[in-house]
Amino acid sequence: MNPVEKGGRSGHGRLWNAALFLAVVSGLGTLGFVLAPAAPAPKERSITVRAHRYGYDPKIIRVNRGDRVRLRFVSEDVTHGFYLEGYDLDVSIPPMHPSVEWRKPSQPGKLKVIDEVAFTADREGKFRYRCSMTCGFLHPFMLGEFIVSPNRLLPVSLGLTWGVLVGGFLVVVLKGTHK
Amino acid sequence: MSTRSRQASPEIVPGSHQIPDTLQTVDAKEWRLDLFRCAPPLKRIARLRWFQFAAVFPNLLIFLLFISAGIFGTPVGNRNIMIIFVWILWWFLLISAMVPFASRIWCAMCPFPFFGEWFQRRALVRVAAIDPKKEKKGGPGSVIGRNRYFGLNRRWPKALSNIWIQNFLFLALCTFSALFLTRPIVSVVVLSSIFLTATIFHLIYRQRAFCNYVCPVSGFLSLYSMASMLEVRSRDREVCDECKEKACLAGSERAWGCPWFMYPSKMERNNYCGLCMECVKACAHDNMTVNLRPFCSDTRLKGYDEAWKAFIMLSLATTYSIIYLGPWGFLKDWANIAESGKWGGFLAYTAVLWASALLLVPGIYYGAVWIGKRLAGDCEVSFKDAFLGLAYPLVPLGLLAWIAFSFPLMLVNGSYILMTLSDPFGWGWDLLGTSHIAWTPVVPHWTPYIQVLFLLVGLYYALTTGYAQARKLFGSEAAVKAFTPVAILLTACVSCFAWLYGG
Repeated sequence: MNPVEKGGRSGHGRLWNAALFLAVVSGLGTLGFVLAPAAPAPKERSITVRAHRYGYDPKIIRVNRGDRVRLRFVSEDVTHGFYLEGYDLDVSIPPMHPSVEWRKPSQPGKLKVIDEVAFTADREGKFRYRCSMTCGFLHPFMLGEFIVSPNRLLPVSLGLTWGVLVGGFLVVVLKGTHK
Repeated sequence: MSTRSRQASPEIVPGSHQIPDTLQTVDAKEWRLDLFRCAPPLKRIARLRWFQFAAVFPNLLIFLLFISAGIFGTPVGNRNIMIIFVWILWWFLLISAMVPFASRIWCAMCPFPFFGEWFQRRALVRVAAIDPKKEKKGGPGSVIGRNRYFGLNRRWPKALSNIWIQNFLFLALCTFSALFLTRPIVSVVVLSSIFLTATIFHLIYRQRAFCNYVCPVSGFLSLYSMASMLEVRSRDREVCDECKEKACLAGSERAWGCPWFMYPSKMERNNYCGLCMECVKACAHDNMTVNLRPFCSDTRLKGYDEAWKAFIMLSLATTYSIIYLGPWGFLKDWANIAESGKWGGFLAYTAVLWASALLLVPGIYYGAVWIGKRLAGDCEVSFKDAFLGLAYPLVPLGLLAWIAFSFPLMLVNGSYILMTLSDPFGWGWDLLGTSHIAWTPVVPHWTPYIQVLFLLVGLYYALTTGYAQARKLFGSEAAVKAFTPVAILLTACVSCFAWLYGG
């Protein structure tokens, strides 16, 4: 039986539909990747993070890839933590005190008391910072966002998402045309 | 695919006659894998009289341990086994593994109806059966079918034979999620209340009326089990049609009649099957089995109650993602009323949640279906049929959205499981030597990617099942037009989630 006559249900028809669908999805995903705005030249950023039950101020930190980031911390109530995903960085912030305890989660046991944490934002994307010191009932949900541009996750995700719709639509329409 | 490759391949091919006897097609498009034929030990286990007791009783003991930990243990949520095992581990397993791959298997091992069902049956394992030909229906208790039950055994009111109660109860419960997700004693109150209510309802109403119509957990399990890859079904309908005994429905000396008020041999959807396996035990023709099947095989919502459950679940997944996974501390304060005392914020949060779940999301969906129906032109499809048919895509989308929400909770907080296993009450014990391990999130920086992947899978299934529904309702010609507005809405919804998780 002709694969086209069978409405794409035969092996070849299915394969063609799947290839078309994946081509559209990956094409739009790639488009999202390409269209993501490039990061400007790196610079130095000094930010004071104020922690309180159950949030941070600023709640979203936006930097560019390559920026040198200097973070100072203040806790407004109890001891909080600042665990930054993807950057091997964990800080314990005592209340109303300028110094913090800094450690690398990958190297347990080594602690440093410092006033400022400095690092280079060399990984792009969206990362969350979370409280790592049990601070109250909603402690597990105390978090903020560290966004390093170019954050390609969003444009790629949107490209893939709409690619699923457009790809599916094309498969259906072309199948109808063949019929 | 060539004929040769069809014959060579062990996989099922629609329309092919080269099907192993463990596989059977329900229609030309769908395959079924008969697990009882593939793995006979599974059938032997399912037919054991004490199978369900063996599944429920350990869970009952664990539940009592959790209740004890909630009452006597530390009030710090992430150090108490009640919070970590129920709301992190159990929830994760339920939504990410049990529901998608094993339907309502949780209902088969749930401890809530344990005492109620015991009182009803006055038996934990054996069956109380009568032979209507020889025995009069008098005597203690009531006879339903061929089984004898105790308690009042009232019929559940017909007007309430839907999941509206579950919808409202679940929404009400979830409004206070910030309290019971984080405070062991509040979890004790919530879970004990459900346990007590289940017991009382079993004493008043017959069989599993509580599970079918009241239990707040059961409501979303019934909805999302439609997508599950597991089902209990009859092998051959003709055997059922010719069967005079109907033991799956009426019970027998081998098994209780279906406690879920289903007629198992005619069952077409997973929604109200608790996988208790009584029908498997009851069937004298060995005609009931457990099948593996494609994801999203049940595609028919039967009423507005089920559609609204889908709206409620999607709204809750969105709200929870914003509150619990978002950076907005003031929203957490609003939801966390017992600590923050911000009543204005709490009322605003509650109003937005309830309005979204019950009015806004359904309203937008209603608009999309209405436009689609207009675009499809004159047709004889009623609006209710179109609405229910096109609301089905919210089942796979909602389920995957919930998995996307739950996954990071497990990855980030999973290490608490080891800690609380060693020190369940938070009393400083170290039973397994793991109570002092550091909180260690597992690949937390990958979570946005994983979440987006789940959402894309959900969208794929939402669009394919939605389009299939549109074809059934409107025919091939008008299906694209009818489904386009809903498809755009679903894609926009996933885009919002993608922004929330990755933007």
